[in-house]
Amino acid sequence: MSEQGETGEAITILLVEDDAPTCWRLQDALVKAGYEVRSAGTLGEARSALGEATPRVLLTDLRLPDGHGVELIREVRQRFPDTEIMVISALGDEESVISAMTVGATGYLLKDAFPTDIATTVRDLVAGHSPISASIARFIVRRTQNSAEPPPGPALNTARLTPREIDILWGIAKGFSYAEIASHLGLSRQTVPGHIKNIYRKLEVHTRSEAVFEAVQQGLIKL
Amino acid sequence: MSEIAAKATIKPARRRLLAARLVPYLLLQALIVIATILGLRLLQPSDPDDFALSGFSLREDGATHPVTLPHFTSSRYSLADPPLYTGAFTFRRGDAASGWSVFLPRFSNAVEVAVNGVVVLDSRRDANANRPDRNTPQIALIPASLLRDGSNELTVRLFVWGPLKGFLDTVYVGPDAALRPAYETRTLLFVTLPVVFSAWQSILAVILAIMWLMRRREPVYGVLAAAMVLGVVQAFVPPPVPPATTSRLASVLLASAPTESALIVVFGVLFFGWRWPRYGTLLFAPGIAVFVVGLIAGPPLPRILFLLLGIPTVGVCLVLMACVTAAAVVRRQDAASFTLGCAVSIVLTCWVHDMLSVSEIVTNERIFVSRLSYSAMLVAIGAGLTWRFARALNQVDSFAGQLVTRVREAEERLKASFAREEARARAAALANERTRLMRDLHDGLGGQLVSIVALSERGHEGATITDAARAALKDLRLVIDSMDDIGGDLMLALGSWRERAAMQLRPHDIALDWRVATPQGLPLHPELRPWHVIQIVRILDEAVTNAVKHAHAGNIAVTIETLDADQGPYGVISVTDDGRGFALAGDCAAAGTSQTARGLRNMRSRAARCGAVLDLGSDASGTRVRLQLPQIFPDSDAAAS
Repeated sequence: MSEQGETGEAITILLVEDDAPTCWRLQDALVKAGYEVRSAGTLGEARSALGEATPRVLLTDLRLPDGHGVELIREVRQRFPDTEIMVISALGDEESVISAMTVGATGYLLKDAFPTDIATTVRDLVAGHSPISASIARFIVRRTQNSAEPPPGPALNTARLTPREIDILWGIAKGFSYAEIASHLGLSRQTVPGHIKNIYRKLEVHTRSEAVFEAVQQGLIKL
Repeated sequence: MSEIAAKATIKPARRRLLAARLVPYLLLQALIVIATILGLRLLQPSDPDDFALSGFSLREDGATHPVTLPHFTSSRYSLADPPLYTGAFTFRRGDAASGWSVFLPRFSNAVEVAVNGVVVLDSRRDANANRPDRNTPQIALIPASLLRDGSNELTVRLFVWGPLKGFLDTVYVGPDAALRPAYETRTLLFVTLPVVFSAWQSILAVILAIMWLMRRREPVYGVLAAAMVLGVVQAFVPPPVPPATTSRLASVLLASAPTESALIVVFGVLFFGWRWPRYGTLLFAPGIAVFVVGLIAGPPLPRILFLLLGIPTVGVCLVLMACVTAAAVVRRQDAASFTLGCAVSIVLTCWVHDMLSVSEIVTNERIFVSRLSYSAMLVAIGAGLTWRFARALNQVDSFAGQLVTRVREAEERLKASFAREEARARAAALANERTRLMRDLHDGLGGQLVSIVALSERGHEGATITDAARAALKDLRLVIDSMDDIGGDLMLALGSWRERAAMQLRPHDIALDWRVATPQGLPLHPELRPWHVIQIVRILDEAVTNAVKHAHAGNIAVTIETLDADQGPYGVISVTDDGRGFALAGDCAAAGTSQTARGLRNMRSRAARCGAVLDLGSDASGTRVRLQLPQIFPDSDAAAS
């Protein structure tokens, strides 16, 4: 069995993870599912691998021996806009997932996820379905609520989210399935993943100057 | 000096102190009396002696005899047949550059002056001129047509109403230019000055009355205002001239002087902070007596009574006042009592001077100065009181300033202590949170990690270690998740739990049926704390784990609903499985393994800690765990210790 992209070729994945057992585990699960996986243990290895070929999917840990995964994500986002980026997180906490999201990641993967789940998540992502957890949804919607001082945690611009997207996030935060959310909001079930992808895109800060602009807009930076 | 100090000292010392203070004061008063007498001498206005006319013949009671002015006639109560003074002056038309006048510096009570038989002046028309307590002078131009070259006749009719004796000072006839300045001087001193003083008094009376109205607990202002009002009324209301019928008004005015002086004594006593003695009211008796007699009896009687009762009362009051101020000086040694004492001495001296003048012991030109000096004293007192009031205001101002400073200091201290308290509370909260976190990690993660270590050491097959490690990770996520602020919405915590549970169930091919019966899910609990969330989620975890491990269920349903009995809404979370169930033996021991029993006991104790009610039902068709949440979560973890 081999996972194939739209062109019929095998989907290539670049896996960046410094912990060898975790790396093997993820690689095994993905290879078993038919993906073509190359792995890198450091930022430098990842960059050289990127130089050789452009992967369809980038899976990266954040804490790497020679740098931070966020830098890699930003680079890939700018150089290869078609590459899907996923962050690998031990706990799936908002600190890591949101910071990856703002530089261009569109999904996250738990390190201890079951092998079938790992494969499913990557497949969904390639199909345009970004996964989002209840706790991440909760973090985002709480940022949309106006408060006097920004809550702690990574900065996030939620100004561009539509009320519908915020409603969807509320549904996810409260544990409703996509189908339940769709029926509550009077949507088609199939449109929900698209909305979530949009949410990811909207939360992304494209350039450094834009990041500054957004921060000023939100009053996070005082000029 | 304070009274306590005075009482504490032994008698000889006290006497010495008294002497040391009283003697200098009395010496000072003696000096003031002498100065007053000298001042009164200086006050005597000089008259143009060149034009004096003192040789007259007096026709009185049918008899005629020569007299020399100034002259006293006997007191009388009838205006009929008044004493008639007849004299002559020489006029030469040559030196009559200006007109000639007749000038009478002092007379009592009224005069009618005629030149060559034609009346040129009748003082009865000027009510103020007839008052015996005023020293009003009179001047009248003599029409040139009346004057004859050579000797002219001047007649003065002196109207006298008792009980005082009639008095006629030297009469001056001469060019108006020579007489006018003397007349002006006297008018200034004895007419204008009293009016000025009275005007001051009336203003001060208004100010003091307002002060008293605003500060009722200080009657001293009211008493002084009353005294001043009386003085003003007495000064400005013209006394009726006999034989006017309005004698009652006259009697009221006569009563004013003794009443006024009594009021001044009351003022002195109150001003120096003494209690007004009950018998002190007797001081008002003479005034009231004169008043009552004036209301009832005819004209002469109130005047006689006034002379006999009123004037001595004034004297008695002045002496009392002098004593009061002397005592105050000895006690307080302050500027106010000294000043007041000196003022009283001056007035007393003037009163004695007037008495001597009335009784003809001192022969002067019968100028009464009591009234004038008394008015001056009242004005001085009023000014002093105003000064005291202004000083009190200043004190209030500075007190207010101090208060503001103090309040600011206190505020700063409070702020600092509040900041300290806040920091302390924050530290305490942090410590509490740490304790809780530690307990939670110990309950879950710690045990699981230890279990992993033990399993690895025994060389166990990987699957069990995997389960333990997964459980540990799950618990870690739960602890982290529960720390998040969910704003009292338990649904947000359950949302995350659903994901974790679904992930746990997926490898076992168990479906998680999630049913939210009511649209809003669960009621909001603003009092919800992380430790409540952890307990609830652990109960649900335990229920799911039991269903997976022991019941071998194929389907697990989680139902979330809000019920509303009569006492408000409450949430209910039920976990139902279609497994084979287990027999419940007793309250908490299950028929299955002891692990299950421990699990059930844990669930119960966790439910109890957050005030929830746990219901377990199990039979062959499945198990049902029903967790009924409290309406309000308990604040303290009572069962934790």
